[in-house]
Amino acid sequence: MSRVFDIVLLLLLIGCALAVVRLKDLLAAAIVFSSYSLLMCLLWLHRGAPDVAMTEAAVGAGVTTVLFLVTIARTTRKERS
Amino acid sequence: MRRALVILLLVAVSLPLLLAVSQLPPHGDPDNPPHVHIAPRYLESGPEEAGAENVVTAVILNYRGFDTQGEVTVIFTAMAAVVAVLVMGSTGTAPAERSAAAVPVSVIVRFIVRVLAPFIAVFSVYVVLNGHVTPGGGFQGGTIAGALVIALTLILSEQDARALLPRRPERLLQAAAPITFFVVGIAGLVIAGDYLAYPRTEALRWLTTIMLTVVELGIGVGGAMVIATIFRTMGADR
Repeated sequence: MSRVFDIVLLLLLIGCALAVVRLKDLLAAAIVFSSYSLLMCLLWLHRGAPDVAMTEAAVGAGVTTVLFLVTIARTTRKERS
Repeated sequence: MRRALVILLLVAVSLPLLLAVSQLPPHGDPDNPPHVHIAPRYLESGPEEAGAENVVTAVILNYRGFDTQGEVTVIFTAMAAVVAVLVMGSTGTAPAERSAAAVPVSVIVRFIVRVLAPFIAVFSVYVVLNGHVTPGGGFQGGTIAGALVIALTLILSEQDARALLPRRPERLLQAAAPITFFVVGIAGLVIAGDYLAYPRTEALRWLTTIMLTVVELGIGVGGAMVIATIFRTMGADR
């Protein structure tokens, strides 16, 4: 059961990572990246590292996303290819 | 031609690297060097030796205190770089502060931030001060406090946000983490005979706890200020 949980989390992580790279809408990419951090936080917790999980949730999912959003608000939302 | 050269170069670089990786001890093997020397020592004698129940805190603040001091200095330097780039890119005068949201914040956001703010504040202090017993500590609690400042900056007017954190204490507190480390390190030099050392005798256990708490507080305040400053500098109008 525990292994299944790990595998599901890792698959979701890979999915999020690919989505972040593929998305052209930077706002959507920032949100997906935030959910990547939340999944990562769950994974840390499951691996028995609550300290890292807290940091991941606060910095990765919280503050980094806010800084991305500020940057998008001040620049542009669409990626130019 | 060029493509083939690139591929050849990549293979030439990756082969030695892969060879080196294959020589590494197997991943997760309990007989690996860190698992037979360092980890058991930390786990067995961490609580009484380092004065922190939480092994992670014991490692971060005591066994690896130097690394953490370097880390907070790096974080401070990063903030200084952000401020330098963003402020110097402007007209040279201090930028006029402004809430980052260009559109008015909705009633829902305003209400929820107001309701949650005191709880977040208490939780961040709890995480900082309880870091040597439970998971958490200065970095985590400081980030939570920094996020609280960001949330408040969003809903408050320009003047109120500035009044929340006047410029003069802000500048001092930004360097709180490196300064605290330096002060506690010197205190350790005087008391225990080594920079960033903590007294190890049973009689001075309370002093160790105080020193660890001071360092945690310094990291927490400094971290929160760094996050709030980066956010404000990026959100400020130029």
